[in-house]
Amino acid sequence: MKIRTVDLTKAYHLGPSEIIAVNRVSFEINEPNFIAIIGPSGSGKSTLLNLIGLNDAPTSGKIFIDNADAALLSSSKRRKIRLLRMGFVFQTFNLLPTLNALENVELPMALAGKPKKEQRVKAKKLLENVSLGSRLFHRPKELSIGEMQRVAIARALANNPEIIIADEPTGELDSKTAKEIIALLYEVNRKEKTAIIVATHDEKIVDAADKIYTIQDGRLRLQDNAIFSQK
Amino acid sequence: MKTRLLTFCFRNLFRRKVRTVLCIIGVALATTFVVAVGAATMRYATVIKEMNVLFNGQIMVVDKNAIVIQAIPMGGSLLPKEFTGKIQNISGVEEAAPILFITPIGIGEIIQPVPVNFTIGIPIEHWHLILDSIPLKGNVGHYPTNESSNEIVIGASLADQYNWTVGKQVTMLSRELEIAGILDTKMALLNRCIIMPLQLAYKIYPTYTDSVNIITVKPVQGYPLQNLTDAIESKLPSLKALTEDERYDMIQPILAQIEVWNIGIQTVVFIMSLILVMTVTIMSVSERRRDFATLDAMGAPLSYVFRVVILESSLIGILGGALGIALGSLAALILASLYTNIPLAQFFPTFYEIIPPFYMLETFIAIVAVCCIGGIIPAINATRMRIAEALRAEY
Repeated sequence: MKIRTVDLTKAYHLGPSEIIAVNRVSFEINEPNFIAIIGPSGSGKSTLLNLIGLNDAPTSGKIFIDNADAALLSSSKRRKIRLLRMGFVFQTFNLLPTLNALENVELPMALAGKPKKEQRVKAKKLLENVSLGSRLFHRPKELSIGEMQRVAIARALANNPEIIIADEPTGELDSKTAKEIIALLYEVNRKEKTAIIVATHDEKIVDAADKIYTIQDGRLRLQDNAIFSQK
Repeated sequence: MKTRLLTFCFRNLFRRKVRTVLCIIGVALATTFVVAVGAATMRYATVIKEMNVLFNGQIMVVDKNAIVIQAIPMGGSLLPKEFTGKIQNISGVEEAAPILFITPIGIGEIIQPVPVNFTIGIPIEHWHLILDSIPLKGNVGHYPTNESSNEIVIGASLADQYNWTVGKQVTMLSRELEIAGILDTKMALLNRCIIMPLQLAYKIYPTYTDSVNIITVKPVQGYPLQNLTDAIESKLPSLKALTEDERYDMIQPILAQIEVWNIGIQTVVFIMSLILVMTVTIMSVSERRRDFATLDAMGAPLSYVFRVVILESSLIGILGGALGIALGSLAALILASLYTNIPLAQFFPTFYEIIPPFYMLETFIAIVAVCCIGGIIPAINATRMRIAEALRAEY
């Protein structure tokens, strides 16, 4: 999946003042890289990810998905892209509390219309892959936060997405669990050839990234030492 | 997918158990009220309509000042029995019969909103005018054959209530009577009737001797009814003669009024249910903004989100409606029992006559539809949520 943004801008109006959360961002993702976007709170990381993930519309500028202008795509086409080609991991996991781990992972497949049996087999496999084979029928409130985030990653992988967009996936985790989650994302990136784009201020993620962007006052910059080879 | 959706919605609903249960109880109470009031008024209307069937195609002659509710004269003076002979001589009259219609009799001695029972006294040669082809229960017994006998026939409901059987001796106002037969009919009025020869009625109620309150007239076939009523009224100016249509016209405004009140009450109750379900569902959607935003971010179709909310509000209607129908049916039976002084247990075998299944179904569909409609605005809210804002919000 190729994502390209051109002068992407998102402004919010708070009373008479205008806050530019994302300011003329132009960048490209065309390989299954592990990309980290770092920046302080309020710098525009989440807003940028929401724009890239087609969860929000830019104030100006363009997003191209495989060279197609996202603004020209219908709402249902954008949904289909999110459902079938993108996976989302949130800081607060956002698991549906009334569904157990297995059902949470099955849900994107069910929404994509996959057969029930296939959903079950694949969801089990994904949960086993994230070491949750023994927690299939536990509801989110019965899981630890690390387990919840692993369920969220399994859910993001359910429809074999080409890209996973993760917004501060280790923000709520202790350092040991955070390490495990980073390792998991890294493994997904390498094994499944799934592009990962992570907004974070976790240095451990930065260490794992192929490309690092910094964002400050909505402006995105590629770090000089962008390509890491120590992994 | 459908089963999973249903399970998902059930779990969502019962995530807030107290609120959901209270909402279901609210909807159930509304349904109970609609069923109980609706069934009671419908029952009255049916009984009133049935009365006309008793005198199908006949002209009823009553005192000019009497109000006639279908077949029952209320108020007005009694008519001398000899008027029957005068009417019989009018051209176009095939048969005229004097009827004494008394309510209530001694049993219970309490004036009820709906009379507990009725006594009809009619000369035996004219019984066919009201009982025409009504058989006796189990083909046991017979209609009285002698005007001076002490034999009576009774309605099945009365027989069941007092355990009266054919051949049993009963005492009515100190007079020994024998049950000659039990009527086999579904008509509520006849089910609560004691029918006896007119002479016997006079013996039980001596104050009425040689008086009647109705003279029923069977016209010669094809004779213009209006001409006949005009002829009766001109010959006996103190009386009024009413055709079936005229009797129906007299009662129609009352029935229409009952209907209007019924619809009015139902509308108010349904609107209250709508507001209740809408409020609860709006609260539920607003508490679960993050869940809906997550579904949205995952690419769930808008129709899926819409269906989740609509199904949740409909489930409240289904559960509340089912509970309400059950409670309402029981309440309707209790009301019928209280109003008629008939033991509650006696209504159970034929409860579907008090609360017709079609009415239950209609009410159930209506309450589910109301709850479904109550979910529309919250469902629209859920689909119009701005994902980015909802995901960012803290709860």
